[in-house]
Amino acid sequence: MEYDTMMMDGESLGPSVKISAADNTHVDFELSNVDLSFANSLRRVIQAEVPTIAIDLVEIEANTSVLADEFIAHRLGLIPLDSREIDQLNYTRDCDCDQSCGKCTVTLTLHAKCSSDEVMKVYARDLIVGIDRPNNHIGNPIITDPEGQGSLIAKLRKGQELKITCIAKKGIAKEHAKWAPTAAVGFEYDPHNKLHHLDLWYETDKVSEWSVGIPTIRLFPPPRLTAGYRPKSKYAEWEEPPAEGEPFDYDAVPNRFYFEVESAGMIEPDAIIQEGIKELQRKLAGLIHGLGENDDMNGDYDGPRSPDGIEGGAPWQDQGYTTPYAGAGNTSAWGGGGATAYGTTPYGNSGSAGW
Amino acid sequence: MPSATKTRDSSAEDANMEDITPPSAQPVVDSQEGGDPMEEDGEDNELGEEEEEEEPQRVRILPGSTSTAASFEFLKEGHTLGNALRYIIMKNPDVEFCAYAIPHPSEDKMNLRIQTYDTTTATAALEKGLQDLEDLCDVVSEEFWTQRENFMAAKH
Repeated sequence: MEYDTMMMDGESLGPSVKISAADNTHVDFELSNVDLSFANSLRRVIQAEVPTIAIDLVEIEANTSVLADEFIAHRLGLIPLDSREIDQLNYTRDCDCDQSCGKCTVTLTLHAKCSSDEVMKVYARDLIVGIDRPNNHIGNPIITDPEGQGSLIAKLRKGQELKITCIAKKGIAKEHAKWAPTAAVGFEYDPHNKLHHLDLWYETDKVSEWSVGIPTIRLFPPPRLTAGYRPKSKYAEWEEPPAEGEPFDYDAVPNRFYFEVESAGMIEPDAIIQEGIKELQRKLAGLIHGLGENDDMNGDYDGPRSPDGIEGGAPWQDQGYTTPYAGAGNTSAWGGGGATAYGTTPYGNSGSAGW
Repeated sequence: MPSATKTRDSSAEDANMEDITPPSAQPVVDSQEGGDPMEEDGEDNELGEEEEEEEPQRVRILPGSTSTAASFEFLKEGHTLGNALRYIIMKNPDVEFCAYAIPHPSEDKMNLRIQTYDTTTATAALEKGLQDLEDLCDVVSEEFWTQRENFMAAKH
């Protein structure tokens, strides 16, 4: 029954997207005919779970600047690095290497010494990116300013020196905000507040205080008194305002969601959305996989099975007890999860090889 | 009986942390001459079972569940998945009730309750929900990309 009503009122069936503005740092779009829960999942996932690369380990060989080592390390972490085609990079914890390698990290070095009387500024462009990396753009500092300098890292006076080696790793913003692909995400629905999801506070009169005609002083750009300022979203014009005396529709659900995604520069905004959906699917795939693996979750679970990949028998010896499951589980499907059921074994040393 | 002794031998080797435990099982396969390797696994299981950690399992059914009314516990999941999954499972006409909760904010766990009519089971409903949500993601992803292409085409 519910499906029928859905088909009747929307001229287009199923989810639809309308892009209203886009450039290389922004995308504004309307997502409609989906549930609030799905739209919110999309918002959450693009803000916190799309992987990017950022400086994570900093080795300071020389720092005679006025700034403390950890202060500089923090600043380095926040420098946006090119994260396009991040799929080509492994999470360090999933990588086969011992500490770090070209498949899971990008090395950046910085060596600057001020020899002139003037203050020297050290910028992100001064970082030298190591050659051992999956492709030739990943890990490059993002430089968008017209001078081509990038973020300012530190200022040096005569004789002061910085000699630093940085290791950039793949990560997600859930772990540290430096990995956030987005600078800001606007998310709104129901601009007229017809659903009463908001309880707008007012002094005495709701209409006069919340709609047309409040004289307000605009402070920026030039201070000026503007009449007719509406504290309403620009999307208020996209939707029908409530009719006079319209009764509250308690069955109504939000249907149109307005996103304003602003990229931090590491990934293009449209790619962030795509990657976000992919990440959501990766979560689901991991769970489907997990469910399939232990069908009788409350009954006897099936214990360690013969590793499918090595029926031949030969690799048993040298492999210790790493099974193909350790690899498969660790890479993509399980997302953040490091250890799988097959990762840790009672046989001791196996863990060390994996991550 | 001989095979049983062999099994015991190999478990002793485990205790010694020697790396040759798996080979101890191998000769049995060889002697069986082309026997299905799967049969061999049965013995392997007996060895590993008590020591195998069950913890990293991402989804488990909480105690007190029946086939049509079950509570699942998801590790390392939150509102991102919980709410969308709850919605999509509730859309399934065979499902009577579905809700999710994060019992405590400092535990990385998410509980999902599913009660179905007799036409299906809770586990099946969960599996269908996961699949449906994945399909929804596909649709939205595709729609976004076509609209992006259209927008780019219109701009130039």
